[in-house]
Amino acid sequence: MVGLPYDLVANPLGAVRSTFEKAAASSGFDPNGKDWGVLDLFRHFLFDQGRLSQVPILNGETIRWIQPKTLVRFRAMVQDMLGNEFYVGAYQDGSVWRTNKFRDVSQFPLGDSSPHTQVWERRLLYCVPVPGQNSWTEPSSESVVNQCKDFIPQQREKRRRMDDEAIDDMNMLVSDNGFQVSPSVKKVKEDGCPSTSSQTQDSLSEGYCSNTSMVTGIDKDFLSCLVKIYDSPESDLKLNDVFEFIGILTLDSELNEDKDDHDEPDNGFCDDVMVHLPPNKGFMLQVPRLHCLIHRKLAAPDFLRGSPMMEPKPHFVREMREVLLRHLTVVLGNDGIAAHFMLLHLLSRVHTRVDTVAVGKLSLNLTCFSKESAALFGSRLSLALKTLLPFTHCIPLTLEYLNSVSLAPKKDYETNRLKTGVLQLAEGSHIIIDETQLEAGTLNSVGMENARLLRNLMELQRVEYDFKYYKMEMAADVQLLIFSEAKSNILPADIVMPFQPSSVGSSEVVTAEALEAWRWYLATVKSLPHSIESEMQKVVENDLVAARQADRSIGSHDFNRWLTMGRLMSLSFGETCLSLEHWQMVKELERLRRERLK
Amino acid sequence: MASDSPAANVNNGPSSPDDSYSSPIGNTLSSPGDASGRRRRRPSSTPSAFSTPSPPRFTTSDANPALTPTPSYRTRHGTGAGRGRRASSATPIAATPSSTDDAPASSEGGDGYDAEDVRPTYVWGTNISVEDVNEAIYRFLKHFRERSSQSGEDALLIEGKYETAIKRVLEFEGDSLDVDAHDVFAYDPDLYTKMVRYPLEVLAIFDIVLMNMVSRIDPLFEKHIQTRIFNLKSSTSMRNLNPSDIERMVSLKGMIIRCSSIIPEIREAVFRCLVCGYYSDPVVVNRGQITEPTLCLKEECQARNSMSLVHNRCRFADKQIVRLQETPDEIPDGGTPHTVSLLMHDKLVDTGKPGDRVEVTGIYRAMTVRVGPTQRTVKSLFKTYIDCLHIKKTDKSRMLTGDPKEAENPVGRSTEDITFDEEKVKQLKELSKLPDIYDRLTRSLAPNIWELDDVKKGLLCQLFGGNALSLPSGASFRGDINILLVGDPGTSKSQLLQYIHKLSPRGIYTSGRGSSAVGLTAYVAKDPETGETVLESGALVLSDRGICCIDEFDKMSENARSMLHEVMEQQTVSIAKAGIIASLNARTSVLACANPSGSRYNPRLSVIDNIHLPPTLLSRFDLIYLILDKADEQTDRRLAKHIVSLHFENPESAVQDVLDLSTLTAYVSYARRHIHPQLSDEAAEELTRGYVEMRRRGNFPGSSKKVITATPRQIESLIRLSEALARIRFSEWVEHRDVTEAFRLLEVAMQQSATDHSTGTIDMDLITTGVSASERMRRESLLSTTRNIIMEKIQLGGPSMRLLELLEELKKQISGSEVHLNDLRNAVSTLASEGFVAVHGDSVKRM
Repeated sequence: MVGLPYDLVANPLGAVRSTFEKAAASSGFDPNGKDWGVLDLFRHFLFDQGRLSQVPILNGETIRWIQPKTLVRFRAMVQDMLGNEFYVGAYQDGSVWRTNKFRDVSQFPLGDSSPHTQVWERRLLYCVPVPGQNSWTEPSSESVVNQCKDFIPQQREKRRRMDDEAIDDMNMLVSDNGFQVSPSVKKVKEDGCPSTSSQTQDSLSEGYCSNTSMVTGIDKDFLSCLVKIYDSPESDLKLNDVFEFIGILTLDSELNEDKDDHDEPDNGFCDDVMVHLPPNKGFMLQVPRLHCLIHRKLAAPDFLRGSPMMEPKPHFVREMREVLLRHLTVVLGNDGIAAHFMLLHLLSRVHTRVDTVAVGKLSLNLTCFSKESAALFGSRLSLALKTLLPFTHCIPLTLEYLNSVSLAPKKDYETNRLKTGVLQLAEGSHIIIDETQLEAGTLNSVGMENARLLRNLMELQRVEYDFKYYKMEMAADVQLLIFSEAKSNILPADIVMPFQPSSVGSSEVVTAEALEAWRWYLATVKSLPHSIESEMQKVVENDLVAARQADRSIGSHDFNRWLTMGRLMSLSFGETCLSLEHWQMVKELERLRRERLK
Repeated sequence: MASDSPAANVNNGPSSPDDSYSSPIGNTLSSPGDASGRRRRRPSSTPSAFSTPSPPRFTTSDANPALTPTPSYRTRHGTGAGRGRRASSATPIAATPSSTDDAPASSEGGDGYDAEDVRPTYVWGTNISVEDVNEAIYRFLKHFRERSSQSGEDALLIEGKYETAIKRVLEFEGDSLDVDAHDVFAYDPDLYTKMVRYPLEVLAIFDIVLMNMVSRIDPLFEKHIQTRIFNLKSSTSMRNLNPSDIERMVSLKGMIIRCSSIIPEIREAVFRCLVCGYYSDPVVVNRGQITEPTLCLKEECQARNSMSLVHNRCRFADKQIVRLQETPDEIPDGGTPHTVSLLMHDKLVDTGKPGDRVEVTGIYRAMTVRVGPTQRTVKSLFKTYIDCLHIKKTDKSRMLTGDPKEAENPVGRSTEDITFDEEKVKQLKELSKLPDIYDRLTRSLAPNIWELDDVKKGLLCQLFGGNALSLPSGASFRGDINILLVGDPGTSKSQLLQYIHKLSPRGIYTSGRGSSAVGLTAYVAKDPETGETVLESGALVLSDRGICCIDEFDKMSENARSMLHEVMEQQTVSIAKAGIIASLNARTSVLACANPSGSRYNPRLSVIDNIHLPPTLLSRFDLIYLILDKADEQTDRRLAKHIVSLHFENPESAVQDVLDLSTLTAYVSYARRHIHPQLSDEAAEELTRGYVEMRRRGNFPGSSKKVITATPRQIESLIRLSEALARIRFSEWVEHRDVTEAFRLLEVAMQQSATDHSTGTIDMDLITTGVSASERMRRESLLSTTRNIIMEKIQLGGPSMRLLELLEELKKQISGSEVHLNDLRNAVSTLASEGFVAVHGDSVKRM
């Protein structure tokens, strides 16, 4: 296909229209057939021709200048599913078939007179930027900015002014209708970000506020979007999955008009989705909508900049492992054993679930912290992790926090929306829980519930979502790291490791290249497959049986931990099969750890 | 004041009913007259005043054309003008909403539309002949009989099911007739198909036919009776509703999450002239709008814009909007529940409240949304809702139970039996014929907990349960099996409990630590609003006919545990509190689990000491399992293997042939509901023989000890267990092998739990009194020795003796075994209770 008559990036709807018209004009056109080749056109353009990078990425920054009705990319997590929507997919305007696919309002006013209409269906997803996403994952969009920035800034100004006026109306409407978003938001904010005395709390409030901001719209970098999915099987998109949506951005305000007739008694059951979306940033009336053409699931490697897709060669990986381990050792104040465990912890993920058992998780509890050392090493570690992992969080576990915050997402039936909670996280997120700040006191019912949620997450890697009339368990895959003074009883981690730093030495300077390489290492090695040979299996089994014969207190819990460690150990060397050497290393590590525990 | 539904059109010129608009929904166009057809005809004194043109074909334009008996008198401008309800009884066909002559032929509109026919009346756009449907419905209502009554010779003498039902409705002055869609299907599958496909049209005819029949039975009956269809052959899942379902009859299950307040919807408005006080005739709602007369109709007045609405002379109907959400079991992995709106009218209003699980039958509809209230342009979006026809509360999330006595009521039966359609039953029966069904079910029960097969077998028996029996004399024997699991920490007791809880009917899961006596049974509370005393059910009452799982049984307070005595044998909870004396049913099986008293089982102590529960309670458990963590290399190896494979094998490849949870649930509920095994003679014989054998076993030769091996409670347990085992095979007879297996189960459980650790025999005494026979002998000998010593050493009325001195003496006399101070204390206190000695602190004095 050469020389398209339209610009797919600037005018994607033109392409939709013209291909549809072409298809409609051809003989044997079936108005029920929902795809007429437009997706192939875009796929060819974006992937085969490699034009994907030309499509601007939508975020709080770029939304200022991106034109509506253009093609954008949006990387986000599915936060809520708003059900299906029926719309007039195709209709006859005179004798010509037209389509409404990929647009909010029909191009031509749809009177009552159109004799033939086809009702089609699309799914609505409410998507937000991935909670706790670190800045390094943002792809630089400089080039695109330069390319497009000279687009009519004045007009934008004007538009913004107009919209500011409109916002007031909107707010009034919102409160009139009783969808009082703001008070609850305020409450969350007060409770959610307690005194920011320590550095870890700083980073928490950053992570946390980015969560609340999806409600308030205060954060400029935070942009939520209503994504409309066409013709995709339901199982494709799941809650909390991270996707890149490529589609057409719309910001129409025309849809607001139907808010006028709110006094209508039968409005109650139509619960227009748009009504409940809070007014976002000042220059927008509504949450932007994205009519998705193509979507693809993102995994950790997709966030690497430039992503040099290297083959994980053994010697290279081995080298990288050494360097990273050294770095972690420095960060952990020269505690080499702790660094080893840390590395394994960072590589862990839930790779299978057998009934309630989540196999592959490896939560780590570093004990022997005092308040001071927790502040020092905690902040240093959380900084280090921020630069290494795509999504990180910090939770300072104070009584006040436990008693007030809402960890679990909760369904709000008034607005028919799922209110997010701190524990609504994307797959592969990392949480640091600082328990050193916990003091003796009374937990109220919220606190009890929160403690239970954290414990469930830790033990089963599941989070209960509160649907008021029932709870629904959602599988999670979150790495949990806990700082505590002694073994945490509230949060029973897989590994309890007394932390013994020998120096407080200042952290080294890390080059950007090294960071890139480590990120690549963590992301790639983590997703390697793994197996065991029958011979090795025998060895492992014998070892386990012997250990249990020697010490009756060893149970399945310990077995699970050792096997997970064995798996991660060989993965950390880039190997996909457990070898005796690595198994020995695991046993040695365990021995050292047990010694410390004594 | 008109309730302005966001209707799509305002075109109601009297002369152009059919040509200017159409439904947005392709070929599912409904008849142009459907709305009028659904409006109920009433005799009216002024028939002509409101004769309106053909109502909109746009079914979406009126939010509720169908469900409310409109007291208005609507007629067709065509064939049936001016015909009242009673008049229509002569030729109902003529009064039906549509006929070919007022529906212009539209070539695209219909499948098989035939305009050239000799004027049979068709529903617009379809090949449904109104006459045919009319006939079919009439035949159905008149002649449908349930299969059971058909078989008899006098079948024709019995009235049809619905004829009887109609009469009953008339007697009760009801306003609706419930029609089981299964009956319709059984009588006339074609009618059923039409009804589901074109519900608006067919239901309109249904109502007309029904009203005709009513007027024939009782010509003076004034009220309108509606048809409510329920129990469709297939029910849709909420997330599978798609555009092709629009305008069809659907049946959905879900949970009510929100109810709007009741909305009074105006049906008829009366206006009054402010100038002359003239009351207008009632104005009916037309497409959700009421037009206010601009001119006073009184000829002398004719004032302009003087008419105002008189509220208390208007007619209103109740309306409610309810949101229904998917139940958790229908939500796929990683999805959030879908919701759908329901529109309820009149009697359906407030039938459900938030939190109820309901099954709804209704018509799925889509409504266009206008861009603005004053604009005719519509948005390309639709709002969808379900016009509710019938609503039924269900609770299907768990296994069904209940005994046949409760299910005798035919309505109740038909509602519950849906889950077991013929295919499923066939499948289940086939399963039951498998020779290894017992083992297979055992494997399927908590498959991730390996080993513990005998425990699982016991739990399986508990799930199936025995037969409850109540004699005419009033005595009743429970059929529920109670099980206690005692075991070391980390032996997955709690997991088993959780599993059973999920599986069981009305299972309640409590933890002993957090349960109080009233929380388990029932408590009396004062209603904060009215001040009345009300009885609130606790966990045991709530799990009536289910399984009450109590974790951490040992950590329960003494007080709470004592409440269980009554529940576990009499199966009732009696309450005698201020103002309320009541006895509540608590026919529940108890599944409890406990840790040994020292958290780990101490093999040197007796079971009683380990379990540390009152023996009275223990004897009420049919099976007591001791789950011990044995230091056995074989088990360790299996554990290691299991975990290694967990980590390194693809779990999908390790598919075992186990039943999935839903099949298991269905299997159990079917068995509980339909299988009621009887003891066969040979089984009874075996039971007797076995029981005698069990009792005799204690008296082995050479032992002088009297050991009670079994109690009558055990034989009851055995009967229950063997009944449950027969149920597992779907067998109506308890056979020899069931009894043998029941004995085995009891033995396995008992051998572990009632082994006398000093003799090694089964000792029921250990369970019933807490003391083993050998222990009792020892105590007795100690007692007599002590008595002798005291007789010797202490003079009657003489100086007292210290306990320690006594102990010294005792040790001298009994050389073989150790004597503890505690044993002595016990002995002395026994003697004191006999009045032989008096004890003051540490000193003993003979009396």
